Amino acid sequence: MQYQQSSASSSWSYYMTMRTRHHHAAEDDIAMDRVARLASESAVVIFTISTCCMCHAMKTLFCGMGVNPMIHELDLLPNGKQIERALMALLGGGGGGAVVPVVFIGGKLVGSMDRVLAFHINGSLVPLLKQAGALWL
Amino acid sequence: MESHRIIGGGGLGLSEAGPSATHHQHHHHVPTYGVLHGINTTNPSTLINEGHAFNFGELEEAIVLQGVKGRNDEGKAPLFTTAAAPPRPAATLDMFPSWPIRFHQTSRGGSKSGGESTDSALSTKTEPPFEAESPMSKKATTPSSLDHHDASRIIGPSSSSQAKSPHEKRKGAGSTSEKPLDAKTLRRLAQNREAARKSRLRKKAYVQQLESSRLKLTQLEQDLQRARSQGLFMDCGGVGGNLSSGAAMFDMEYARWLEEEQRVMGELRNGLQAPLSDGEMRGIVDGYLSHYDELFRLKAVAAKSDVFHLINGMWTSQAERCFLWIGGFRPSDLITMLIQQLEPLAEQQIMGMYGLRHSSQQAEDALSQGLDQLQQSLVDTIAGGPIVDGVQQMVVAMGKLANLEGFVRQADNLRQQTLHQLCRLLTVRQAARCFIVIGEYYGRLRALSSLWASRPRETLMSDDNNSCQTTTDLQMVQPSHHHHHHNHHHFPSF
Repeated sequence: MQYQQSSASSSWSYYMTMRTRHHHAAEDDIAMDRVARLASESAVVIFTISTCCMCHAMKTLFCGMGVNPMIHELDLLPNGKQIERALMALLGGGGGGAVVPVVFIGGKLVGSMDRVLAFHINGSLVPLLKQAGALWL
Repeated sequence: MESHRIIGGGGLGLSEAGPSATHHQHHHHVPTYGVLHGINTTNPSTLINEGHAFNFGELEEAIVLQGVKGRNDEGKAPLFTTAAAPPRPAATLDMFPSWPIRFHQTSRGGSKSGGESTDSALSTKTEPPFEAESPMSKKATTPSSLDHHDASRIIGPSSSSQAKSPHEKRKGAGSTSEKPLDAKTLRRLAQNREAARKSRLRKKAYVQQLESSRLKLTQLEQDLQRARSQGLFMDCGGVGGNLSSGAAMFDMEYARWLEEEQRVMGELRNGLQAPLSDGEMRGIVDGYLSHYDELFRLKAVAAKSDVFHLINGMWTSQAERCFLWIGGFRPSDLITMLIQQLEPLAEQQIMGMYGLRHSSQQAEDALSQGLDQLQQSLVDTIAGGPIVDGVQQMVVAMGKLANLEGFVRQADNLRQQTLHQLCRLLTVRQAARCFIVIGEYYGRLRALSSLWASRPRETLMSDDNNSCQTTTDLQMVQPSHHHHHHNHHHFPSF
């Protein structure tokens, strides 16, 4: 988008950016709602990208524990990009790399592979899963 | 009698089949008969009679001696066989199949049986390996005094060379020289001379070749040790043949980390021995944890700049590399080792350890499978589809490779979490002991790698031939051995 130098056009450009941001904000809100909704649909929800290998590792981890997670592949969803942005916002920046995989347990955000491994090793993952009804004794 | 004669003649024939025996094994039967016939028909008299009577007795003696000596290889090299090179270094000496059997003209009074003279003379000139092949050189009584450019040899004395006394040999040698030599014998002798001469020349060339190869090898070994010591090990994976700057920097920092490890280990040990309070011990244990946290931080930085260096394990010692899992140790293996070493533990603690191991195994499997999928995906990309678009292919492949860093980081994350959890499961003193065990364990692996790298090697030249140059190798090993001692002097517990 070309920004013109005159004051008139600068206010116009300001208006345009605000409008775009607002537009995005609206979309983001929608996406955020959608994320929240999807996350509560199942005990364990994982947002992935079909070609991502770390996502494959995440799936293997949960399936190996006997959990049956609900997988949402962002590259196959119509509004995948927005959801990815929403997830990035939820994770607080997300760093330079990909944001996926992102795990929700019991509707609540757990995080990426980093956090999941930490919880698993310190023994708090399994109780969390049981609490959410994803695992039974 | 007949058999005796043939034995004697056979001994005569085989070893005396000068040219053939010297050159090729498969020839020696033919001239045997020729010689036999020659001897039997043309000059049946003194040569063979004396030879035979003479030879047999000494032959028997020689055989007995060989058996008594118990030297398998050489003992098995009876006078009959001109393929006299013992099995072991056979490959090198096939050129000289007539060893140790030799025959020489007895015109030189003091000349010994040819085998002796040749072998002993040769053995003084040659490497130890050659000594082994010429059993007679061991028994040589007048070795170096002989000029090995002797005239051709005769078998009679060669069989006698097995015997001890030079007197008898001289007699045997002398006996041949005193008899009138007919044309056939003369020709035979000339041929022998020629064959022996050629044989000597070939051997000279071969020895020179070996010498130069050995020198080259020594130099290569030294260069290698020097390069290794400077940490600039040239491996083909590196950029331009050298380590990348990120890798080199990490290696330096890792070396510093290892030195720091010794200090922290010392603190732990002293802390356990001195009656420190739990609070103080806790501080020391936390210090050890921070020490490892620092390592993982360094590895994270290195993973950004050169992930392959971490994955191929060149930053770590060989033994550790053996057990490498995604750029570091495998946590479940460490826990297995610790469960054994840290006994006695409370029931709850043991359960906790097993639980930790189980969780770690699940995580390891997940990461390993993820990595497998990455590899497979990379293979598919590189192999290309029906339409190969080089640039696009590479771009996609590069993108996939970038994921490696993520896996190494997660693996390190797993390792870090495991160490912290161990600390939580154990009491302070147990945790201190646990970390001492861990430190010693990896220290021993590093020491093992050191020893392995400087072990005497016997098979440096095994590709070319079967000779064992152990003495040489031991000499070459010395500098590197010292060097390794120098490098690893800070593992006092070993």
